[in-house]
Amino acid sequence: MNLLITSAASATTQVIAGPLSSSHELRLTDLARNATGEVIANDLDHGSRTDELVSGIDAIVNIGYQGQTGSPNELIDYHTRRMYNLLWAACEAGVKRVVNISTLRLFQDHEENLVVTEKWRTNPRAEDVDLLAAHMAEYVCREFARDRMVQVVNLRLGWPFDSSDTTDTARISADLITDAVEAALVSEELIQWQDIHVQSKVENQRYITNTAARLLPSLAGSL
Amino acid sequence: MKVLILGGNGMLGPWAVTAMKDRHDILLTDINDPYPEYGGDFLKLSVDDVDGVVKAAEGMDVIVNLSVLRPDRQLAFDVNTMGNYAMMMAAREHRIKRVINTGPHFQLVGQQYEEWDFDLNPDMPPAPGTRLYAHTKALGSEICRVFSEHHGIEVITLMYYNMKHTWNLGGPEQEPVYHEDMVPFSTAWQDCGTAVRAAVEVPSERLASNYEAFFIFPDLPHRKFNNEKTRRVLGWKPRYHVEALWNKETRLPPSGLHEAF
Repeated sequence: MNLLITSAASATTQVIAGPLSSSHELRLTDLARNATGEVIANDLDHGSRTDELVSGIDAIVNIGYQGQTGSPNELIDYHTRRMYNLLWAACEAGVKRVVNISTLRLFQDHEENLVVTEKWRTNPRAEDVDLLAAHMAEYVCREFARDRMVQVVNLRLGWPFDSSDTTDTARISADLITDAVEAALVSEELIQWQDIHVQSKVENQRYITNTAARLLPSLAGSL
Repeated sequence: MKVLILGGNGMLGPWAVTAMKDRHDILLTDINDPYPEYGGDFLKLSVDDVDGVVKAAEGMDVIVNLSVLRPDRQLAFDVNTMGNYAMMMAAREHRIKRVINTGPHFQLVGQQYEEWDFDLNPDMPPAPGTRLYAHTKALGSEICRVFSEHHGIEVITLMYYNMKHTWNLGGPEQEPVYHEDMVPFSTAWQDCGTAVRAAVEVPSERLASNYEAFFIFPDLPHRKFNNEKTRRVLGWKPRYHVEALWNKETRLPPSGLHEAF
């Protein structure tokens, strides 16, 4: 599969790019200010360069949470306008699936005793612009799916990554992140817009992962 | 009250100013100079200038956002989405209790509603789709909602669709057409303006939550859209019912003097 992965300099892309490269042809991109080496510099503007970026791509893995750093204005702009440009170009190019990497932190204000699943509404804090931006990125993706322009898998990952602190009850391992992305790329069980929550199986696990186990059966042993 | 109006020199701005100027202190802002008849306070300001909007909002009681840009993708996001972020940052910074946001009906009622359903109402979940204008306005409204939930700011969103001149029931971009298939969400410009005033003035205790949305149109017989909440909560009473568009008994007078209106 020809994959485009955004926010190449981000921690999430650093986790998934290596393992995914063994089974897919990868195209990595990031904003010009972040791009180095083989990474394609692209500011995801409305124009031919974004069209070229997605040409020949089968699926996109978009880092929708903490893929970028910058001022609040820059983060809102990236996760709304630039996301829209990317998805619009992708749909025009015939990209079939987008895996949006979001975060379970969108539910972090709910008490831990609550059985939070994909059927709960997200509850981002306005003052945490990273979370607000992730919420807006989900919104943009969902509307493209609603219009049947592309299939979107919205993977909300636990946090932090690879923590050994047992008090991090929503933590997720790097291996599980990679496996979840891989499974989301190939699953044939998904609807047009599919939220999936993924975190590691740990003591006092905070979030329910039954949907992931059902729709991404290759993860079942890890959940 | 002290009212900051963002994007006040567009098509809706003059009608909102007319409805409020004798009752409130207005600071009008826009990227363009004010219309010649406007004699009040004015500040040249782009709504996506976050620092500028925050500064302009100091000392205000209410912010009204009438800004809109449709066709250009960069500008649409800057104005319709980032502009709302700027407005809400300003409201949070200065502890402004109420914000009035405006937009098109399809920031909520996307094609998947409008082409299928009836009795569409402003409390439905938004489904704007990907059309640029609807999408960017919906994102802006979502930013308002998140700020509203977490900072106790009252956000009143007024949604419009088809605005009409009262003298001939034409619109800004089309000639009047009588007794044909009309947009069942048509509102006279004057009434569009008084709706803004009603939103500024409605007592807080009449709002069911900090984030409330309203469809602004008069009583129409189609039952495609529902304006019951607008009348009940805002107490808004439209003066014009654009009846010549939907009632064959109401016709233009032969004299062309438009007495019917």
